[in-house]
Amino acid sequence: MSIRTESLITVARPRRRAISLALWLDREAVFSWMMMALPLIFLAALVGYPLVYGVLLSLEHRSVGKPATFIGLENFITDFHDPIFWRVAVNTFVYTIAATLLKMVGGLALALAMNQHFRMKNLIRALLLLPFIVPTVLSTVAWMWMLDPAFSVVNRLLIAVGATPPGPSWLGNPVLAMFSIIMINTWRGLPFYGITLLAGLQTVSPELYEAATIDGASGWQRFRFVTLPLLKPIILIVTLFSVIFTFADFQLVYVLTHGGPQNATQLFATYAFDIGMGAGQLGLGASVALMMLPALALLIVALTLYMRRA
Amino acid sequence: MGKSSRRDFLKIAVVGAAGAAGLPLRARAAGKTVTFLHETSFIQTFDDYMQNTLVPAYKKATGVEVVYELTSVGTSPTRVSTIIETGSGADIAIIFLLYPFLFADKLMDVSDIAEEVGKESGGWYPSAREAAVVDGKWKAIPHSNIGQLMNWRTDWFAEVGVKKFPETWEELYEVGKKLKAKDHPFGFELGHGFGDNHGWLYPLLWSYGGHEVEADGKTVVIDSDETAKAIDFARKFFKDCMFDDVLGWTDVSNNKAWMAEQISCTNNAESILWFAKRNFPDIGKVTDQAQNPAGPKGRFHLLQCQSHAIFDFSPVKAEAHAFLRWLMEEKQLGGWYASADSYYQPFLHAYDNAPMWQVEPRNIPYRDAMTSAHMPGWPAPPNRQLAESVAKYVIVDMFAKACTGTSTKDAIKTAETQLKNIYKAA
Repeated sequence: MSIRTESLITVARPRRRAISLALWLDREAVFSWMMMALPLIFLAALVGYPLVYGVLLSLEHRSVGKPATFIGLENFITDFHDPIFWRVAVNTFVYTIAATLLKMVGGLALALAMNQHFRMKNLIRALLLLPFIVPTVLSTVAWMWMLDPAFSVVNRLLIAVGATPPGPSWLGNPVLAMFSIIMINTWRGLPFYGITLLAGLQTVSPELYEAATIDGASGWQRFRFVTLPLLKPIILIVTLFSVIFTFADFQLVYVLTHGGPQNATQLFATYAFDIGMGAGQLGLGASVALMMLPALALLIVALTLYMRRA
Repeated sequence: MGKSSRRDFLKIAVVGAAGAAGLPLRARAAGKTVTFLHETSFIQTFDDYMQNTLVPAYKKATGVEVVYELTSVGTSPTRVSTIIETGSGADIAIIFLLYPFLFADKLMDVSDIAEEVGKESGGWYPSAREAAVVDGKWKAIPHSNIGQLMNWRTDWFAEVGVKKFPETWEELYEVGKKLKAKDHPFGFELGHGFGDNHGWLYPLLWSYGGHEVEADGKTVVIDSDETAKAIDFARKFFKDCMFDDVLGWTDVSNNKAWMAEQISCTNNAESILWFAKRNFPDIGKVTDQAQNPAGPKGRFHLLQCQSHAIFDFSPVKAEAHAFLRWLMEEKQLGGWYASADSYYQPFLHAYDNAPMWQVEPRNIPYRDAMTSAHMPGWPAPPNRQLAESVAKYVIVDMFAKACTGTSTKDAIKTAETQLKNIYKAA
């Protein structure tokens, strides 16, 4: 008997603990935090740490391999006195606004076209993604050849339709160089817009169109009062992503013009790289890169508020 | 059977993995592996010679394993910065241009090697000291210069009656005017590349007597009559001898334009001739090379030195030092130079008449240019501020702006504002 009791106790004790641990783990507060822990650690390590480190760097006088000295906001003051910095700021805004608008309008048109029924629809939809899939560096090198003065396909076409040889200097003229990088960025980003909006279009119920048609709405009115309002949340999200990617663009400019001619295509990211890596001025470079943050943060907050209200 | 063999396999795998993981550690601890970082050479045989001849020879002689690690062209600055920041990654590296000065604190003093090698190999060119001696100590051993000189089309120059490359910038301008009229413009980079823009603009500035800072490395002196004269020359040189594209060029552009027979003169490393001879032999035949033209204050070239430096934090510093010393012996170094013809121009006089110069006599001007070559920012010794000025393309953009219509005064003013901003803390 006593033996049995003992054995029961020895068996029961760990079991009770196991049960209580299982219960504890089952509690919503505990379980949800457990589920959250891994992504949080990831976020802290991959986003939080670099961001905090970047902010710290920007407040220091810090050359590669040298000890840092804390200098407060001096790097930012240096930036504000640098004429190129302002040029870079203007460039980045022009580049982002122009490219995003073009992508938005073009992407919407693309989505509407792709939403029609035609032969080989799926194949063509898949092919449209190509500019987005090809690594940027590769496609930029292809563009470099297309805009090359000696081998330019673009100029040969222009000459064929009557332009004076040798045609425009796409990357040598400051205005055309900016135009070129905007065009290439649009070309690359258009499929992302198009396919995402297409997905949105397909969720619009056909009944709404039918109802509108019965009410006598024209094609334009159907687009204006049915399609557009329903697509708005998706347009906002895609725009948000697109603005962030475009604002922080690096590869395209780095490969194609390296910020030239005379900084006409220099963006925040490339300028920060030149200062941080080229000149080994990590602190100053970080301060340039961080200047992207307020503009982007403002935009994200504005868009989020707008979406909540909508 | 299944069970036991699975268990055996597991044992072998675990022991094997542990052994593999432990091996490099043990080898390092015993000081038997030296990692030697280089950028992939434009000349394949150069890397092959190190990999297949020198590395095995050193292993045989000393038992020390040298790992010749290649990083792609253009990635070395980022790699070296990372190594310096993290204190690990390689033991010796090839470093370029301003790096001995920027990273001096983290590089081993190799003055003993430099002095011994200098004695043994006919002495250093003075430019070697300019490129590697920081505060009286050699912080790197100069390996070679990759000079930037004039490349010109002999056939087109002959069409306007010129058989010998012009001696001065003004004479070159006169030839360029005639050649542009014949649809053979010049192509000198004014964009944001790295070598081909600085390669001719610093020498042009110096040859008119202009400088960005005084020898003290602090006082900005870009605003001078001499700078103005150099800019005025560049403006007419651009307008009358070149075409607009050069403003947007990067370093690959002039090579492409050369092979497309689009330009009749440019400023580049030996690679243009090297590439033309192999891939466009007809163009190779009519390509010649010459020293930069002279200005009122003399003839100048840009020093594009690459050196070998040992990281001070390397756990195998002594082994790295011994390897570098061995590498600099004429037997090894001479063979290595010869494997790349004369693409890498030695800083030691012992190689002045080496057979490699006879492989392609058209390269000889690159050797002769070594005596008039200086670092960017000369006469000031390179420092952090200079690196920033170069990375911000201050001098290049000053010239480029003037070429696109900005007045000389305004172009200088902008550059001066930038330079004062950069040098204020010096």
